[in-house]
Amino acid sequence: MAYVSTKPTPPRKPPLNESTPLGWLKVNMFDTLFSSVLSILVLIAIFFSLKSMLTWGFIDGVWIAETRRECFQISIDGACWAGIIAWMDSIFYGLYPRDEIWRINLGGILLVIWMVPLWLPRVQGKVFVGFSAVALYPFLAGYLFSGGDKGIFVQVMIAGAIVCLVALTINAALGYFKNANLPNVIIDRLGKNDAPEKQKRNILLGVLAACLVAVFIWQLSWVEKSISWTRWGGLFLTFVIAGIGIASALPGGILLALGRRSKLKAVSFLSMGFIEVFRSVPLITVLFMATTMFPLFMPEGFVLNKLAQVIIAVCLFNACYMAETVRAGLQAIPKGQFEGAHTIGLGYWGTMGLIIMPQALKHMIPNIVGSFIGLLKDTTLVSIIGLFDLLNILRTISRDKPWLGLHQETLVFGALLFFVLCFAMSKYSRHLEVKLSTGHK
Amino acid sequence: MSDSKTEQNQNTPDKLTSAISSEIMIELDKVNKWYGAFHVLKDINLVVHKGERIVVCGPSGSGKSTLIRCINHLEEHQEGSIVVDGITLDKNLKNIDHIRTEVGMVFQSFNLFPHLSILENLTLGPIWVRKMPKAEAESNAMKYLERVKIPEQADKYPGQLSGGQQQRVAIARSLCMNPKIMLFDEPTSALDPEMIKEVLDVMVELADTGMTMIVVTHEMGFAKTIADRVIFMDEGDIVEENEPGIFFGNPQHERTKLFLSQIL
Repeated sequence: MAYVSTKPTPPRKPPLNESTPLGWLKVNMFDTLFSSVLSILVLIAIFFSLKSMLTWGFIDGVWIAETRRECFQISIDGACWAGIIAWMDSIFYGLYPRDEIWRINLGGILLVIWMVPLWLPRVQGKVFVGFSAVALYPFLAGYLFSGGDKGIFVQVMIAGAIVCLVALTINAALGYFKNANLPNVIIDRLGKNDAPEKQKRNILLGVLAACLVAVFIWQLSWVEKSISWTRWGGLFLTFVIAGIGIASALPGGILLALGRRSKLKAVSFLSMGFIEVFRSVPLITVLFMATTMFPLFMPEGFVLNKLAQVIIAVCLFNACYMAETVRAGLQAIPKGQFEGAHTIGLGYWGTMGLIIMPQALKHMIPNIVGSFIGLLKDTTLVSIIGLFDLLNILRTISRDKPWLGLHQETLVFGALLFFVLCFAMSKYSRHLEVKLSTGHK
Repeated sequence: MSDSKTEQNQNTPDKLTSAISSEIMIELDKVNKWYGAFHVLKDINLVVHKGERIVVCGPSGSGKSTLIRCINHLEEHQEGSIVVDGITLDKNLKNIDHIRTEVGMVFQSFNLFPHLSILENLTLGPIWVRKMPKAEAESNAMKYLERVKIPEQADKYPGQLSGGQQQRVAIARSLCMNPKIMLFDEPTSALDPEMIKEVLDVMVELADTGMTMIVVTHEMGFAKTIADRVIFMDEGDIVEENEPGIFFGNPQHERTKLFLSQIL
């Protein structure tokens, strides 16, 4: 039978609308009898567990007390948060001298200032922001945290870091508010807009060198009291270990992954051996090896402090895990992408850096951030070899005389801290995925 | 598919004038290649002059794609010599990178970079390989996007474009490098019938500018229009080679006759 459409069918709204709260409930929780029963059971379970937790933590909780005994006198069943509050400084800063704590805070604030341009729109040169944060910030922060005498190399790096931070911040402000960038503004102010490219570059290099020299001379008079790493602790120490681990795991992992896929058999074999050895040993073993066996392999008189050894071990261990994650990402890239890159004349590093890695890393964001979360939590293992990280400080509280036996509250507090940090990372990774998606899936 | 062919023949001249110079652009001498034990290319000899437009056809597995992939060294040949624009292809990576900047290639599966916008796809090569200033590369890229008739898509991502549009972007991306030779590896085989024509039109226009082209394709109407020479390959051999009029009108080899009778 023949049929010819006379007019197009107009689109209609979908029947069940999830956008209203009632519709959402109907679709997601009370769709069938079975799902309604399940929903009600789960709601009841959530209600009772939340109720007992809230009673313990808030309604019966004790916030102000001098000792644990006093807590018990006020409320026998409630949580004794007073102990946590009394120890709060140590939980965050370990045994760091109390009048020097501003140095840790300043270091943290500087890092945030350094990273802020990465999140602002319209700012130019974001890749450089990331690189410089990894390459220069550690020297500045390292001196802030440990103080003492600085060698000439460290002095140069500190001067570089300060110049870089100031320049990046001004550049970010210019980009955000005026949609401009610092180099162009400098050239403009000097009235050299019409000069050839080469002369412009020389002027910029001259300005940079002058700033470096000025800051270098200033920092000669900048001396902070030396503070031994043995006094570092708490969340601060956890951040230091995890931060260095995260910042080095990704570049290290990328290099190892590329090494493993290299056509040069020696490079590929070495990378593979390295990855497999570190991956097949538990982290705690690597940590023990780093602190007990590593010194045996070093030349006589070469002493590295325990913290440095631990950090190196954490970095190597996580770089090897990251290498496998990156390799999985690389393998998901179709061969055509390599060929497309080759046909416009890109060599190995151009192909990898501009075409392959950006895609591979983007695909792997959930896994990479998963590794970072794992790394952050794994840092608690350093408490076993005697560093006073967050977990070890929390356990110390229960051995402190006024708070003897305070276990539950400290562990709950630690769990909360870790949850907040890890959940934030996980949410941020989700946000990144959405932001970087270009609709090609 | 036959619709698009007839239509194309109506819009464009039946035969482009050829602009072949005596200068040799590509010279293959006794080229042999194996995949493992499988002999894909057998003693291939081929000379391509500047401005010449060659169509390569043949059944699948005949080695036609491998042949043009050897010319920009995406595949390595094991015996014989390949000279492109006066440079011999060998183990020297510098030579290979140099030749690749002179030879553009368009693939069946487009191979655009999905994480970059269309404009960034086009400017990446000029900026990073040719070291062209960004502003110049962008205005150049827009010029080529206009030539392939999709300047309005510049800020989109490849995933948001149709197959025909993607393939035209891929052609524009190659042209941005200002190549001397263009290779096409079945550029319309992955496209919906409705989109084949828009890509072929762009290629006919390109052929009209005197670009040296080697095209692997099964679009015989297109071959008749642009080709100065048609090469038929089977099982790693060049079986027959002739100007399109004779190749299609009066094929000599039995294998060619069989092939043409099946696809026309």
